[in-house]
Amino acid sequence: MSFKILSSGIFSTIQDQGRYGFNHLGITHSGAIDEYAYGWSQKLLGQKNINAIELMVGLKLEVLKEIEISVTGADLGFKINQKLSPIWQSYSIRKGDVLTFSKRVSGQRAYLAVKNGFICEQKYGSCATTLKENIGFKIKRGDILETYSDFKRSTIFRLKKELIPNYEKPLTLRLLLSYQDDYFLTEEKEKFFNSEYQVTLESDRMGFKLKGQAIFPKKGGIISEGIAFGSVQIPKNGQPIVLLKERQTIGGYPKIGTVLAVDCFSLAQISIGSMVRFKAIEIEEAQEIMRDYLALFT
Amino acid sequence: MNIKTVSYNSVMLYFEQIISEEVLDEVQTAYLQLKELDGIIDITPSYCSILLIYDIFMYDYKSIQKVIIERCSVEVVSDNKKSNKIIKIPTDYKNNLDLERVAKYNNLTIDEVITLHTQTVYRVYAIGFIVGFAYLAKVDHKIATPRLESPRAKIPKGSVAIADNQTAIYPQDSAGGWNIIGHTNFNEFDRFSIGDRVKFERIK
Repeated sequence: MSFKILSSGIFSTIQDQGRYGFNHLGITHSGAIDEYAYGWSQKLLGQKNINAIELMVGLKLEVLKEIEISVTGADLGFKINQKLSPIWQSYSIRKGDVLTFSKRVSGQRAYLAVKNGFICEQKYGSCATTLKENIGFKIKRGDILETYSDFKRSTIFRLKKELIPNYEKPLTLRLLLSYQDDYFLTEEKEKFFNSEYQVTLESDRMGFKLKGQAIFPKKGGIISEGIAFGSVQIPKNGQPIVLLKERQTIGGYPKIGTVLAVDCFSLAQISIGSMVRFKAIEIEEAQEIMRDYLALFT
Repeated sequence: MNIKTVSYNSVMLYFEQIISEEVLDEVQTAYLQLKELDGIIDITPSYCSILLIYDIFMYDYKSIQKVIIERCSVEVVSDNKKSNKIIKIPTDYKNNLDLERVAKYNNLTIDEVITLHTQTVYRVYAIGFIVGFAYLAKVDHKIATPRLESPRAKIPKGSVAIADNQTAIYPQDSAGGWNIIGHTNFNEFDRFSIGDRVKFERIK
Protein backbone atom coordinates (compact mmCIF):
# COMPACT_ATOMS: atom_id res chain seq x y z
CA MET A 1 0.00 0.00 0.00
CA SER A 2 1.36 3.38 -0.90
CA PHE A 3 -1.34 6.06 -0.90
CA LYS A 4 -4.75 6.51 0.61
CA ILE A 5 -7.00 9.07 -1.06
CA LEU A 6 -8.39 11.49 1.54
CA SER A 7 -10.12 13.70 -1.01
CA SER A 8 -10.61 12.96 -4.73
CA GLY A 9 -10.37 16.48 -6.13
CA ILE A 10 -12.38 17.57 -9.18
CA PHE A 11 -11.09 14.92 -11.52
CA SER A 12 -8.18 12.57 -10.92
CA THR A 13 -7.25 9.63 -13.14
CA ILE A 14 -4.19 7.53 -13.90
CA GLN A 15 -2.70 8.37 -17.29
CA ASP A 16 0.33 7.54 -19.39
CA GLN A 17 1.32 8.38 -22.96
CA GLY A 18 -1.86 6.72 -24.26
CA ARG A 19 -2.72 3.66 -26.35
CA TYR A 20 -1.73 3.62 -30.00
CA GLY A 21 -2.41 1.14 -32.76
CA PHE A 22 -6.08 0.47 -31.95
CA ASN A 23 -7.81 3.37 -33.70
CA HIS A 24 -9.09 0.94 -36.33
CA LEU A 25 -11.27 -0.63 -33.61
CA GLY A 26 -12.56 2.77 -32.51
CA ILE A 27 -10.29 2.93 -29.46
CA THR A 28 -9.20 6.49 -28.72
CA HIS A 29 -5.59 7.41 -27.88
CA SER A 30 -6.32 8.84 -24.44
CA GLY A 31 -3.31 9.47 -22.20
CA ALA A 32 -1.94 12.58 -20.47
CA ILE A 33 -3.59 15.67 -21.92
CA ASP A 34 -0.46 17.73 -21.22
CA GLU A 35 2.35 15.47 -22.39
CA TYR A 36 4.98 18.10 -21.60
CA ALA A 37 4.20 18.18 -17.88
CA TYR A 38 3.62 14.43 -17.84
CA GLY A 39 6.93 13.83 -19.64
CA TRP A 40 8.84 15.80 -17.00
CA SER A 41 7.03 14.01 -14.17
CA GLN A 42 8.64 10.86 -15.51
CA LYS A 43 12.03 12.27 -16.37
CA LEU A 44 12.48 13.81 -12.92
CA LEU A 45 12.24 10.27 -11.54
CA GLY A 46 14.64 8.90 -14.13
CA GLN A 47 11.97 6.92 -15.94
CA LYS A 48 10.13 7.01 -19.23
CA ASN A 49 6.38 6.79 -19.75
CA ILE A 50 5.31 4.60 -16.82
CA ASN A 51 2.28 6.52 -15.50
CA ALA A 52 1.13 9.34 -13.23
CA ILE A 53 -2.03 10.71 -11.69
CA GLU A 54 -3.47 13.51 -13.80
CA LEU A 55 -5.30 15.69 -11.32
CA MET A 56 -7.26 18.90 -10.96
CA VAL A 57 -7.55 20.94 -7.80
CA GLY A 58 -8.70 19.30 -4.56
CA LEU A 59 -6.75 16.03 -4.43
CA LYS A 60 -5.46 15.04 -0.99
CA LEU A 61 -3.48 11.88 -0.25
CA GLU A 62 -1.95 10.18 2.74
CA VAL A 63 1.38 8.46 2.19
CA LEU A 64 1.42 4.88 3.50
CA LYS A 65 5.06 4.04 2.81
CA GLU A 66 8.31 5.83 2.09
CA ILE A 67 8.50 6.62 -1.60
CA GLU A 68 9.91 8.94 -4.24
CA ILE A 69 7.51 11.19 -6.12
CA SER A 70 7.50 14.04 -8.60
CA VAL A 71 4.96 16.82 -9.16
CA THR A 72 4.66 18.82 -12.40
CA GLY A 73 2.10 20.80 -14.39
CA ALA A 74 -0.41 23.21 -12.88
CA ASP A 75 0.43 25.07 -9.68
CA LEU A 76 -2.37 23.85 -7.40
CA GLY A 77 -0.80 25.02 -4.17
CA PHE A 78 1.02 21.73 -3.61
CA LYS A 79 1.76 21.09 0.05
CA ILE A 80 3.58 18.36 1.94
CA ASN A 81 2.19 18.36 5.49
CA GLN A 82 0.80 21.90 5.24
CA LYS A 83 4.10 23.19 3.91
CA LEU A 84 3.90 24.85 0.50
CA SER A 85 6.38 22.97 -1.72
CA PRO A 86 7.72 23.91 -5.16
CA ILE A 87 6.64 21.77 -8.10
CA TRP A 88 8.45 20.55 -11.25
CA GLN A 89 10.55 18.68 -8.72
CA SER A 90 11.03 15.23 -7.18
CA TYR A 91 10.72 14.47 -3.44
CA SER A 92 11.34 11.63 -1.06
CA ILE A 93 8.30 11.43 1.17
CA ARG A 94 7.69 9.45 4.34
CA LYS A 95 4.98 7.29 5.80
CA GLY A 96 2.30 9.49 7.34
CA ASP A 97 2.98 12.51 5.12
CA VAL A 98 -0.10 14.21 3.70
CA LEU A 99 0.02 15.66 0.17
CA THR A 100 -2.52 18.30 -0.81
CA PHE A 101 -3.38 20.20 -3.97
CA SER A 102 -5.89 22.60 -2.52
CA LYS A 103 -5.66 25.95 -4.30
CA ARG A 104 -5.46 26.72 -8.00
CA VAL A 105 -2.74 29.27 -8.64
CA SER A 106 -2.01 28.72 -12.34
CA GLY A 107 -2.78 25.98 -14.84
CA GLN A 108 -5.48 23.32 -14.63
CA ARG A 109 -3.88 19.90 -14.47
CA ALA A 110 -0.99 18.65 -12.38
CA TYR A 111 0.82 15.32 -12.55
CA LEU A 112 1.80 13.28 -9.53
CA ALA A 113 4.17 10.49 -10.46
CA VAL A 114 5.90 7.86 -8.33
CA LYS A 115 9.12 5.99 -8.87
CA ASN A 116 8.33 2.93 -11.04
CA GLY A 117 4.68 3.90 -11.34
CA PHE A 118 1.29 3.09 -9.87
CA ILE A 119 0.07 -0.48 -10.22
CA CYS A 120 -2.67 -0.50 -12.80
CA GLU A 121 -4.35 -2.89 -15.18
CA GLN A 122 -3.05 -2.39 -18.70
CA LYS A 123 -5.60 -2.49 -21.48
CA TYR A 124 -4.43 -2.54 -25.08
CA GLY A 125 -0.91 -1.88 -23.85
CA SER A 126 -1.60 1.20 -21.72
CA CYS A 127 -2.83 2.32 -18.30
CA ALA A 128 -4.46 5.47 -19.69
CA THR A 129 -7.91 6.01 -18.23
CA THR A 130 -10.81 6.54 -20.66
CA LEU A 131 -14.05 6.56 -18.69
CA LYS A 132 -16.29 6.54 -21.76
CA GLU A 133 -14.62 3.29 -22.86
CA ASN A 134 -14.89 1.81 -19.37
CA ILE A 135 -11.11 1.68 -19.13
CA GLY A 136 -9.66 2.63 -15.75
CA PHE A 137 -11.48 4.56 -13.05
CA LYS A 138 -12.02 7.97 -11.55
CA ILE A 139 -10.03 8.21 -8.32
CA LYS A 140 -12.31 8.64 -5.33
CA ARG A 141 -12.06 9.17 -1.61
CA GLY A 142 -10.99 6.05 0.28
CA ASP A 143 -9.18 4.47 -2.68
CA ILE A 144 -5.85 2.86 -1.96
CA LEU A 145 -3.26 3.20 -4.71
CA GLU A 146 -0.47 0.68 -4.92
CA THR A 147 2.96 1.31 -6.38
CA TYR A 148 5.58 -1.02 -7.77
CA SER A 149 8.38 -0.29 -5.37
CA ASP A 150 9.43 1.75 -2.41
CA PHE A 151 12.82 2.44 -3.93
CA LYS A 152 14.26 5.59 -2.42
CA ARG A 153 16.80 7.71 -4.19
CA SER A 154 18.72 10.44 -2.41
CA THR A 155 19.11 12.84 -5.35
CA ILE A 156 16.30 15.34 -5.71
CA PHE A 157 15.86 17.02 -9.08
CA ARG A 158 14.10 20.20 -10.03
CA LEU A 159 13.44 21.37 -13.58
CA LYS A 160 15.39 24.47 -14.65
CA LYS A 161 13.32 27.60 -14.43
CA GLU A 162 13.53 28.45 -18.13
CA LEU A 163 11.88 25.13 -19.00
CA ILE A 164 8.89 25.67 -16.70
CA PRO A 165 5.93 26.94 -18.72
CA ASN A 166 3.99 30.05 -17.78
CA TYR A 167 0.33 29.09 -18.07
CA GLU A 168 -0.90 32.63 -17.47
CA LYS A 169 0.57 34.24 -20.53
CA PRO A 170 -1.67 34.77 -23.59
CA LEU A 171 -1.79 31.70 -25.78
CA THR A 172 -1.47 31.66 -29.55
CA LEU A 173 -2.20 28.27 -31.06
CA ARG A 174 -0.05 27.49 -34.08
CA LEU A 175 -2.25 25.87 -36.69
CA LEU A 176 -1.38 23.85 -39.74
CA LEU A 177 -3.89 24.76 -42.43
CA SER A 178 -3.80 21.38 -43.94
CA TYR A 179 -5.94 18.82 -45.63
CA GLN A 180 -9.32 20.53 -45.64
CA ASP A 181 -7.99 23.99 -46.24
CA ASP A 182 -9.95 24.37 -49.48
CA TYR A 183 -13.24 23.74 -47.67
CA PHE A 184 -12.93 27.30 -46.36
CA LEU A 185 -13.05 30.48 -48.39
CA THR A 186 -10.17 32.94 -47.89
CA GLU A 187 -12.44 35.39 -46.06
CA GLU A 188 -13.52 32.69 -43.59
CA LYS A 189 -9.88 31.86 -42.87
CA GLU A 190 -9.09 35.56 -42.43
CA LYS A 191 -11.93 35.87 -39.93
CA PHE A 192 -10.59 32.85 -38.10
CA PHE A 193 -7.03 34.14 -37.81
CA ASN A 194 -8.10 37.69 -36.96
CA SER A 195 -10.41 36.73 -34.10
CA GLU A 196 -9.99 35.90 -30.46
CA TYR A 197 -11.75 32.83 -29.14
CA GLN A 198 -12.83 32.16 -25.60
CA VAL A 199 -12.32 28.79 -23.90
CA THR A 200 -15.77 27.61 -22.76
CA LEU A 201 -16.85 25.44 -19.85
CA GLU A 202 -17.48 22.62 -22.28
CA SER A 203 -13.82 21.74 -22.42
CA ASP A 204 -12.46 18.42 -21.30
CA ARG A 205 -10.09 15.61 -22.22
CA MET A 206 -12.06 14.98 -25.40
CA GLY A 207 -11.86 18.50 -26.74
CA PHE A 208 -11.98 22.21 -26.03
CA LYS A 209 -15.00 24.09 -27.31
CA LEU A 210 -14.23 27.69 -28.19
CA LYS A 211 -16.57 30.64 -28.57
CA GLY A 212 -16.13 33.66 -30.83
CA GLN A 213 -16.42 34.67 -34.46
CA ALA A 214 -18.30 31.86 -36.22
CA ILE A 215 -16.75 30.57 -39.43
CA PHE A 216 -18.41 28.38 -42.00
CA PRO A 217 -17.10 25.83 -44.47
CA LYS A 218 -18.43 25.60 -48.02
CA LYS A 219 -20.31 22.47 -47.00
CA GLY A 220 -21.40 21.39 -43.55
CA GLY A 221 -20.56 17.71 -43.58
CA ILE A 222 -18.04 15.29 -45.00
CA ILE A 223 -17.98 11.50 -45.10
CA SER A 224 -16.73 10.30 -41.69
CA GLU A 225 -12.95 10.00 -41.54
CA GLY A 226 -10.14 9.58 -39.01
CA ILE A 227 -9.39 12.53 -36.72
CA ALA A 228 -5.84 13.61 -35.82
CA PHE A 229 -4.81 15.04 -32.42
CA GLY A 230 -5.33 18.79 -32.40
CA SER A 231 -7.83 18.86 -35.26
CA VAL A 232 -9.97 22.00 -35.24
CA GLN A 233 -13.42 20.85 -36.15
CA ILE A 234 -16.06 23.30 -37.31
CA PRO A 235 -19.54 22.04 -36.43
CA LYS A 236 -22.79 23.49 -37.79
CA ASN A 237 -22.79 26.49 -35.41
CA GLY A 238 -19.41 27.63 -36.75
CA GLN A 239 -17.70 27.59 -33.33
CA PRO A 240 -14.33 25.75 -33.38
CA ILE A 241 -13.61 22.67 -31.27
CA VAL A 242 -9.98 21.63 -30.72
CA LEU A 243 -9.99 17.84 -30.47
CA LEU A 244 -7.67 16.35 -27.88
CA LYS A 245 -6.78 13.02 -26.27
CA GLU A 246 -10.22 11.40 -25.96
CA ARG A 247 -11.60 12.53 -29.31
CA GLN A 248 -13.72 10.12 -31.30
CA THR A 249 -11.64 8.12 -33.77
CA ILE A 250 -13.78 9.11 -36.77
CA GLY A 251 -16.11 12.00 -37.45
CA GLY A 252 -17.85 13.91 -40.19
CA TYR A 253 -17.35 17.63 -39.53
CA PRO A 254 -14.98 19.69 -41.67
CA LYS A 255 -11.69 20.75 -40.07
CA ILE A 256 -9.89 24.00 -40.74
CA GLY A 257 -6.55 22.53 -39.67
CA THR A 258 -4.63 21.04 -36.77
CA VAL A 259 -3.13 22.78 -33.76
CA LEU A 260 0.52 21.90 -33.17
CA ALA A 261 0.69 19.22 -30.46
CA VAL A 262 2.87 21.25 -28.06
CA ASP A 263 0.31 24.08 -28.19
CA CYS A 264 -2.50 21.60 -27.44
CA PHE A 265 -0.60 20.71 -24.26
CA SER A 266 -0.56 24.40 -23.29
CA LEU A 267 -4.25 24.73 -24.15
CA ALA A 268 -5.02 21.94 -21.65
CA GLN A 269 -3.64 24.17 -18.89
CA ILE A 270 -5.51 27.36 -19.71
CA SER A 271 -8.32 28.72 -17.51
CA ILE A 272 -11.93 28.52 -18.63
CA GLY A 273 -12.86 31.93 -20.01
CA SER A 274 -9.35 32.77 -21.30
CA MET A 275 -8.91 34.06 -24.82
CA VAL A 276 -6.79 32.31 -27.46
CA ARG A 277 -5.75 33.17 -30.99
CA PHE A 278 -4.65 31.11 -33.95
CA LYS A 279 -1.59 31.63 -36.13
CA ALA A 280 -0.70 29.72 -39.28
CA ILE A 281 2.40 27.54 -39.35
CA GLU A 282 4.02 25.55 -42.16
CA ILE A 283 4.65 21.82 -42.05
CA GLU A 284 8.46 22.09 -42.22
CA GLU A 285 8.54 24.27 -39.14
CA ALA A 286 5.92 22.12 -37.36
CA GLN A 287 8.00 18.98 -37.83
CA GLU A 288 11.17 20.73 -36.72
CA ILE A 289 9.55 22.01 -33.51
CA MET A 290 8.06 18.61 -32.74
CA ARG A 291 11.33 16.75 -33.41
CA ASP A 292 13.12 19.05 -30.96
CA TYR A 293 10.32 18.62 -28.45
CA LEU A 294 10.21 14.81 -28.71
CA ALA A 295 14.01 14.60 -28.49
CA LEU A 296 13.77 16.14 -24.99
CA PHE A 297 12.06 12.99 -23.77
CA THR A 298 13.99 10.30 -25.60
CA MET B 1 -5.76 8.25 -54.42
CA ASN B 2 -4.72 11.60 -53.09
CA ILE B 3 -2.43 12.11 -50.05
CA LYS B 4 -2.69 15.20 -47.87
CA THR B 5 -0.75 16.42 -44.86
CA VAL B 6 -3.02 16.54 -41.79
CA SER B 7 -0.81 17.29 -38.79
CA TYR B 8 2.88 17.30 -37.94
CA ASN B 9 2.82 13.47 -37.88
CA SER B 10 -0.17 12.39 -39.93
CA VAL B 11 -1.42 12.20 -43.48
CA MET B 12 -4.80 11.37 -44.98
CA LEU B 13 -5.22 9.14 -47.99
CA TYR B 14 -8.34 10.14 -49.85
CA PHE B 15 -10.08 7.86 -52.29
CA GLU B 16 -13.03 8.91 -54.40
CA GLN B 17 -15.34 10.63 -51.89
CA ILE B 18 -18.38 8.41 -52.32
CA ILE B 19 -19.66 5.50 -50.29
CA SER B 20 -19.43 2.50 -52.59
CA GLU B 21 -18.24 -1.06 -52.48
CA GLU B 22 -15.58 -0.37 -55.15
CA VAL B 23 -14.04 2.40 -53.03
CA LEU B 24 -14.29 0.21 -49.94
CA ASP B 25 -12.29 -2.49 -51.75
CA GLU B 26 -9.58 0.08 -52.49
CA VAL B 27 -9.55 1.25 -48.86
CA GLN B 28 -9.35 -2.32 -47.59
CA THR B 29 -6.49 -3.21 -49.94
CA ALA B 30 -4.48 -0.09 -49.06
CA TYR B 31 -5.16 -0.58 -45.34
CA LEU B 32 -3.86 -4.15 -45.39
CA GLN B 33 -0.73 -3.01 -47.27
CA LEU B 34 -0.03 0.01 -45.08
CA LYS B 35 -0.69 -1.42 -41.65
CA GLU B 36 2.43 -3.59 -42.03
CA LEU B 37 4.64 -0.58 -42.77
CA ASP B 38 7.45 0.23 -40.29
CA GLY B 39 7.13 3.43 -38.30
CA ILE B 40 3.33 3.56 -38.33
CA ILE B 41 1.95 4.69 -34.98
CA ASP B 42 -1.72 4.31 -35.82
CA ILE B 43 -3.94 3.88 -38.84
CA THR B 44 -7.64 4.67 -39.11
CA PRO B 45 -9.47 3.46 -42.19
CA SER B 46 -12.95 4.77 -42.90
CA TYR B 47 -15.47 4.80 -45.77
CA CYS B 48 -13.24 6.44 -48.35
CA SER B 49 -10.12 7.56 -46.48
CA ILE B 50 -7.26 6.33 -44.33
CA LEU B 51 -5.63 8.45 -41.64
CA LEU B 52 -2.06 7.40 -41.00
CA ILE B 53 0.05 8.58 -38.06
CA TYR B 54 3.77 8.07 -38.56
CA ASP B 55 7.03 8.35 -36.65
CA ILE B 56 8.62 11.69 -37.59
CA PHE B 57 12.06 10.33 -36.76
CA MET B 58 11.59 7.81 -39.60
CA TYR B 59 9.81 9.91 -42.21
CA ASP B 60 9.18 13.54 -42.99
CA TYR B 61 6.05 14.86 -44.64
CA LYS B 62 7.52 14.26 -48.11
CA SER B 63 9.12 10.85 -47.66
CA ILE B 64 6.00 9.36 -46.06
CA GLN B 65 4.07 10.20 -49.23
CA LYS B 66 6.65 8.45 -51.39
CA VAL B 67 6.54 5.35 -49.22
CA ILE B 68 2.74 5.25 -49.31
CA ILE B 69 2.63 5.65 -53.09
CA GLU B 70 5.23 2.92 -53.50
CA ARG B 71 3.31 0.58 -51.20
CA CYS B 72 0.06 1.23 -53.01
CA SER B 73 1.46 1.09 -56.53
CA VAL B 74 0.88 -2.61 -56.97
CA GLU B 75 -2.50 -4.02 -57.71
CA VAL B 76 -3.66 -6.91 -55.61
CA VAL B 77 -4.82 -9.84 -57.73
CA SER B 78 -5.61 -12.24 -54.93
CA ASP B 79 -4.93 -11.72 -51.29
CA ASN B 80 -4.93 -14.30 -48.54
CA LYS B 81 -4.85 -11.54 -45.91
CA LYS B 82 -8.24 -10.48 -47.14
CA SER B 83 -10.61 -13.05 -45.81
CA ASN B 84 -13.78 -13.77 -47.71
CA LYS B 85 -15.19 -15.43 -44.65
CA ILE B 86 -18.53 -14.12 -43.52
CA ILE B 87 -18.91 -13.16 -39.86
CA LYS B 88 -22.30 -14.48 -38.80
CA ILE B 89 -24.43 -12.69 -36.22
CA PRO B 90 -27.18 -14.82 -34.65
CA THR B 91 -29.98 -12.35 -34.03
CA ASP B 92 -33.18 -12.50 -32.04
CA TYR B 93 -35.77 -10.27 -33.69
CA LYS B 94 -38.42 -10.74 -30.99
CA ASN B 95 -39.61 -7.96 -28.66
CA ASN B 96 -37.66 -5.17 -30.16
CA LEU B 97 -38.41 -1.52 -29.79
CA ASP B 98 -38.52 -0.25 -33.34
CA LEU B 99 -39.21 -3.26 -35.54
CA GLU B 100 -42.78 -2.14 -35.95
CA ARG B 101 -41.73 1.43 -36.71
CA VAL B 102 -39.37 0.19 -39.44
CA ALA B 103 -42.12 -2.04 -40.87
CA LYS B 104 -44.71 0.74 -40.85
CA TYR B 105 -42.33 3.32 -42.28
CA ASN B 106 -41.64 1.05 -45.23
CA ASN B 107 -45.16 -0.45 -45.59
CA LEU B 108 -43.91 -3.95 -44.89
CA THR B 109 -44.78 -6.71 -42.45
CA ILE B 110 -42.40 -7.45 -39.60
CA ASP B 111 -41.46 -10.75 -41.23
CA GLU B 112 -40.62 -8.99 -44.48
CA VAL B 113 -38.33 -6.59 -42.62
CA ILE B 114 -36.53 -9.50 -40.95
CA THR B 115 -36.18 -11.37 -44.23
CA LEU B 116 -34.76 -8.30 -45.97
CA HIS B 117 -32.37 -7.58 -43.08
CA THR B 118 -31.02 -11.16 -43.00
CA GLN B 119 -30.64 -11.75 -46.73
CA THR B 120 -27.94 -9.15 -47.42
CA VAL B 121 -24.23 -9.77 -46.90
CA TYR B 122 -23.04 -6.46 -45.44
CA ARG B 123 -19.56 -4.99 -45.51
CA VAL B 124 -17.78 -3.14 -42.69
CA TYR B 125 -17.44 0.42 -44.07
CA ALA B 126 -16.04 2.01 -40.92
CA ILE B 127 -15.50 1.35 -37.21
CA GLY B 128 -15.84 4.10 -34.65
CA PHE B 129 -18.33 6.19 -32.67
CA ILE B 130 -17.71 3.81 -29.77
CA VAL B 131 -15.22 0.94 -29.50
CA GLY B 132 -16.14 -1.87 -31.88
CA PHE B 133 -19.12 -0.09 -33.43
CA ALA B 134 -19.00 -1.28 -37.07
CA TYR B 135 -20.99 0.62 -39.67
CA LEU B 136 -22.43 -2.10 -41.93
CA ALA B 137 -23.87 -1.30 -45.34
CA LYS B 138 -25.80 -1.27 -47.45
CA VAL B 139 -29.19 -2.07 -46.08
CA ASP B 140 -31.82 -2.95 -48.71
CA HIS B 141 -33.49 0.34 -49.67
CA LYS B 142 -36.87 -1.26 -48.88
CA ILE B 143 -36.05 -1.23 -45.14
CA ALA B 144 -33.85 1.89 -44.91
CA THR B 145 -35.26 4.03 -42.08
CA PRO B 146 -34.14 7.40 -40.75
CA ARG B 147 -32.78 7.82 -37.20
CA LEU B 148 -35.19 8.52 -34.35
CA GLU B 149 -36.04 12.19 -33.90
CA SER B 150 -34.48 12.23 -30.45
CA PRO B 151 -31.84 9.71 -29.44
CA ARG B 152 -32.40 7.33 -26.54
CA ALA B 153 -30.28 7.79 -23.42
CA LYS B 154 -29.46 4.10 -23.22
CA ILE B 155 -29.47 1.39 -25.82
CA PRO B 156 -28.47 -2.02 -24.45
CA LYS B 157 -25.32 -3.81 -25.59
CA GLY B 158 -26.03 -6.28 -28.41
CA SER B 159 -28.85 -4.23 -29.93
CA VAL B 160 -29.06 -4.65 -33.70
CA ALA B 161 -30.10 -1.42 -35.34
CA ILE B 162 -30.78 0.42 -38.60
CA ALA B 163 -30.18 4.06 -39.51
CA ASP B 164 -30.81 5.09 -43.11
CA ASN B 165 -29.04 2.51 -45.27
CA GLN B 166 -26.67 1.33 -42.55
CA THR B 167 -27.01 -1.33 -39.87
CA ALA B 168 -24.91 -1.99 -36.77
CA ILE B 169 -24.62 -3.78 -33.44
CA TYR B 170 -24.16 -1.74 -30.25
CA PRO B 171 -20.98 -3.21 -28.68
CA GLN B 172 -21.78 -1.71 -25.27
CA ASP B 173 -24.63 0.15 -23.55
CA SER B 174 -24.72 3.56 -25.14
CA ALA B 175 -26.88 6.51 -26.06
CA GLY B 176 -28.08 6.33 -29.64
CA GLY B 177 -30.70 7.27 -32.18
CA TRP B 178 -30.78 4.18 -34.39
CA ASN B 179 -33.89 2.00 -34.84
CA ILE B 180 -33.52 -1.12 -32.72
CA ILE B 181 -34.77 -4.18 -34.61
CA GLY B 182 -33.08 -7.10 -32.85
CA HIS B 183 -30.66 -8.37 -30.27
CA THR B 184 -27.56 -10.55 -30.44
CA ASN B 185 -25.23 -12.15 -27.90
CA PHE B 186 -22.32 -11.81 -30.36
CA ASN B 187 -19.43 -10.33 -28.41
CA GLU B 188 -16.30 -10.48 -30.57
CA PHE B 189 -16.31 -6.89 -31.72
CA ASP B 190 -12.54 -6.73 -32.12
CA ARG B 191 -12.85 -9.27 -34.96
CA PHE B 192 -14.28 -6.60 -37.24
CA SER B 193 -11.90 -5.07 -39.74
CA ILE B 194 -12.62 -2.65 -42.55
CA GLY B 195 -14.15 -4.39 -45.59
CA ASP B 196 -15.14 -7.57 -43.72
CA ARG B 197 -18.35 -9.37 -44.68
CA VAL B 198 -21.12 -9.74 -42.12
CA LYS B 199 -24.50 -11.48 -42.19
CA PHE B 200 -27.33 -11.57 -39.67
CA GLU B 201 -29.06 -14.89 -39.01
CA ARG B 202 -32.47 -15.09 -37.44
CA ILE B 203 -32.78 -17.13 -34.24
CA LYS B 204 -36.12 -18.88 -34.38
